Amino acid sequence: MMAEMQMPMPIEIGRANQYDIKVTWQDGHESIYLARELRLACPCAGCVDEMTGQVRVIAASVLQNVVPLKIDLIGRYAISIQWSDGHNTGIYTFEYLRKLDKHEAHSTKQ
Amino acid sequence: MTIATNDVLNALRVVHDPDLHRDLVSLGFIKNLAITGGRVAFDIELTTPACPVRDLMKEEARKAVAVLPGVSSVEIRMTSQVRPSVTMPSGGLIPTIKNVIPIASGKGGVGKSTVSANLALVLARSGARVGLMDADVYGPSIPTILGIHTAPEVDEQNRITPVDQDGLKVVSMGFFMKPEEAVVWRGPMLHKTVQQFLGGVFWGELDYLIIDLPPGTGDVQLSLCQSIPITGAVIVSTPQDVALNVAQKAITMFKKLNAPILGVIENMSFYVCSHCGTKDPIFGTGGARAIAERLEIPFLGAIPLSTPIRTASDDGRPIVLTDPSSPEAKAFIETAEKLAAQVSIRGMQSELTPQVKVTF
Repeated sequence: MMAEMQMPMPIEIGRANQYDIKVTWQDGHESIYLARELRLACPCAGCVDEMTGQVRVIAASVLQNVVPLKIDLIGRYAISIQWSDGHNTGIYTFEYLRKLDKHEAHSTKQ
Repeated sequence: MTIATNDVLNALRVVHDPDLHRDLVSLGFIKNLAITGGRVAFDIELTTPACPVRDLMKEEARKAVAVLPGVSSVEIRMTSQVRPSVTMPSGGLIPTIKNVIPIASGKGGVGKSTVSANLALVLARSGARVGLMDADVYGPSIPTILGIHTAPEVDEQNRITPVDQDGLKVVSMGFFMKPEEAVVWRGPMLHKTVQQFLGGVFWGELDYLIIDLPPGTGDVQLSLCQSIPITGAVIVSTPQDVALNVAQKAITMFKKLNAPILGVIENMSFYVCSHCGTKDPIFGTGGARAIAERLEIPFLGAIPLSTPIRTASDDGRPIVLTDPSSPEAKAFIETAEKLAAQVSIRGMQSELTPQVKVTF
């Protein structure tokens, strides 16, 4: 039997400060994503090898002061981010965003 | 003796909508309640004109009020107001469409276009405002099935006025290519066409937009789910295992995209012999129902494999129009009503669940 996928759903996606992104989830949890860390975690085919999953984006080549300029909802499952360095091909699914939240990872390990 | 408004409403609270599992009063369905002496009149405003249990609810409501002391007559008018299940992004592509329903299948040849056309027609005939978008760019067959021979108007800015056929607003890739022409398209071009059909068409206000998707789990399906919030997908499958396995892949894709599944339809479910009336389950039967049950997805209906459906589609006169009392047309009508009920349920749920807000 296929388990019903319980996708984490955000209620609000906004700013944590002038650089970083804050996501408020339906279960009340709040996640903060530092701008450059999120840029480096871009899941697009240019940044991550589609077959091996190996990260291809070179950290040193990404500006220290990169910030998100615009966030768009993609359907009901993801967001896309327009970055200040011109990059915009990453589709960050809600599931991926929730996994990226380090605090969340700690609390579930306990 | 005067009848109090509250007494009437309290009496109506015992009448439940069987799909939404709530009473007519708390659902806000009772409108224009007027009491004149012993005469009680009101409207019941349903969430779809294609409600399968409208007569039942009307009768229950009438009985509930008729037994109140002092009531001499009860007049009920059945109306409907389709609720939006999705909030279209403001300034987005199609802000005036309340429900977007893609019809998908895993493999081709399962009769998805015939099902889409007949379902859309049933909903339109019930009084809803319905659009039918033929997004099967590789093999657009909606113009043939509906017998449309006129091309839609396209203005200087490439905006399309859909063809109005039997109360349906129709747009198809078939309008823009010669019959013998093949479409050899890469992903980005498909994406652009989907965008054009969503944003570059004067759909106007629609209660339901039915989208006939190409078979499979490729660029068009992805593009669509990424462009607009969809109410939920409908999966059409034939009953044999090879088809059902692929149908499951389509279901998985929609789940990955967080797009709800409204239900599964089994097409070519059984063959009825036109001579002796014997039912023959050529491809096996009940497989789609079993999958729906296993995956906890609503089963919307079984459509027979029948010559009248095939000839009606080829002649461009769909069976729900030409022979609405035939068993085949009844199968489509019942399926469309179940679909409308599922859409209403989604609409009710989305009123209760918050939408994702982007405040960036």
